[in-house]
Amino acid sequence: MTSKKMLAQNVKAVVFYGIMFAVSSVWLYPYVWLFLSSFKPWNEIYTTFIPSHLTLKSYSYILSVADQMGYPFLRGLFNSIFISVVVTVSVVVTSAIVGYAVAKIRFGGSKALFNFVIYQMLFPGFMFTVPLYIVIRSFGLLDTYAAMIVPSLMGAWGVFMFSQSFKSVPNDYIEAAKIDGANFFWVVFNVMVPLSRSTMAIVTIFTFIGIWDNFMWPLIVIQSHPKMPLAVLLAVFNKTYGGYVGPILAGSVIQTIPMVIIFIIFRKYFLQGISMSFK
Amino acid sequence: MKSNVRSLERVENIKGWLLSGPYWIFAAIFFGYPFVWLVVLALSKWNFISPRETIWLDNFIKLFRDPMFWTVTWNTIRFMFYFIPMGLTLSIALAMAFSKAKRFKTFFAMSFLIANVSSGVAYSIIFTQLFSTNGPVNNFLYDHFGVFIPWFSDPNWAMFSIAIMVTWKFMGYYALIFLAGLQAIPKELYEAAEIDGATKWTQFWKITLPLLNPSIVMVMVLAITLTFGIFTEPFMITGGGPLNSTQTFMMVIYTDAFLKYEPGYAATMSIVAAGMSFALILLTRKLIERKVEFA
Repeated sequence: MTSKKMLAQNVKAVVFYGIMFAVSSVWLYPYVWLFLSSFKPWNEIYTTFIPSHLTLKSYSYILSVADQMGYPFLRGLFNSIFISVVVTVSVVVTSAIVGYAVAKIRFGGSKALFNFVIYQMLFPGFMFTVPLYIVIRSFGLLDTYAAMIVPSLMGAWGVFMFSQSFKSVPNDYIEAAKIDGANFFWVVFNVMVPLSRSTMAIVTIFTFIGIWDNFMWPLIVIQSHPKMPLAVLLAVFNKTYGGYVGPILAGSVIQTIPMVIIFIIFRKYFLQGISMSFK
Repeated sequence: MKSNVRSLERVENIKGWLLSGPYWIFAAIFFGYPFVWLVVLALSKWNFISPRETIWLDNFIKLFRDPMFWTVTWNTIRFMFYFIPMGLTLSIALAMAFSKAKRFKTFFAMSFLIANVSSGVAYSIIFTQLFSTNGPVNNFLYDHFGVFIPWFSDPNWAMFSIAIMVTWKFMGYYALIFLAGLQAIPKELYEAAEIDGATKWTQFWKITLPLLNPSIVMVMVLAITLTFGIFTEPFMITGGGPLNSTQTFMMVIYTDAFLKYEPGYAATMSIVAAGMSFALILLTRKLIERKVEFA
């Protein structure tokens, strides 16, 4: 009787895990297909799943031939890295400082500042696309790196996240550091931030991915190919040379891989961030 | 002593303003100033070059008479009609599966979440290829079932196909939110129900679903917000077609402002779209939000 029950349970487990693996592979399939196809000979992209042999033709095409055609993908990659890193560093640093002001400094404007940050987060970003373009245009910044970087240097969400996390740090820590003669910046970056490591990781990941994946804004403000981030350059190339499927897929791999790596390294924080940002 | 305290307060005050000052200035330039422009634009007729002309509410009147506005509204409703039920049921199911899984947890979580970090442009390219007329998905369907689906080329299918893509991307994310909700439900409730002889099915409808209400509201709010911001997928895959069946608010705002040079009209459209998404979120909360107490 008990062995029968155990058998039934085992069968159940096998079916359950079988279904789970099947469904996860459906979810992974587009990525696997993309990755394999970027190494396939061009005539096999649609016909076979496993390539008959691997080739780097698509990669050499997108990195060197496309470059000669006026689509510098390597430079696009560096543009993306440059923009994302600058914005992420700035957002983390400024959010920590302003978040500290909101959470730990008692001054006339601290309540107003917190309310203002919440208020800013209420408005969907797409409302500001057109007017922000006009502002950037009036500053004469169209088609510059500044147009992609400057409007994102500080953000309400980061300030909110840091202030929430700093509020839970006991004031004694700050007082102790001050007695030891620590100045303000030392307190923020050597006391507060290390105590809020997961918040810092979350703000870093989500900001980096958000900027890396940002498409509409650079599409609007950047005209010249050498200044485009990878996403926009790839989209523009795809519009004109849609027939070159292999190189476009290779470009998509290059565009995706940094995010996947960041995701895999920081997966613990990523999972935390999803449940944390909704508390 | 008293003056000492007061001077300390003053120091704190100055420090607070000094540290938050750059943020206020930044927000004034990149939030406040565009906000003013948004209102000015909505009341103006302008083509970026010739002098701006104030036309008050004419943009709004034009908007409500514009067939494109109603097409886009209808498209948005259709998208939500496909995406929200599909996304909700699948991600609740996935969350329940996650909570049952004892082994390979990280692998499962990763394989569903990695879709969420895929770049919008790259995943649009992947799905264009996968779902193309003679692409791998259609080859598979034709070989095994003898059917063939015009994913992006038929006006009746195109928006549904985009909804499938977006579900693919966000299901793992939503499932994790539901998983957190599931884990907050006390086990004793199920044990008590078990003793009273309730089937798993009744337990799901009477315990799980009602107590999952906060997560359901949250996911619906996220899904509505996402719907009104959709741009990359139609831009990359369908260009809004076929027959305008995948035009979204963002697509029309982009086209009107930057291809037709009517920023005033585009600003009006974005205000109305934001208003609609706001109203929809309020309505959702009013209709389905319940106070949940874990006794």
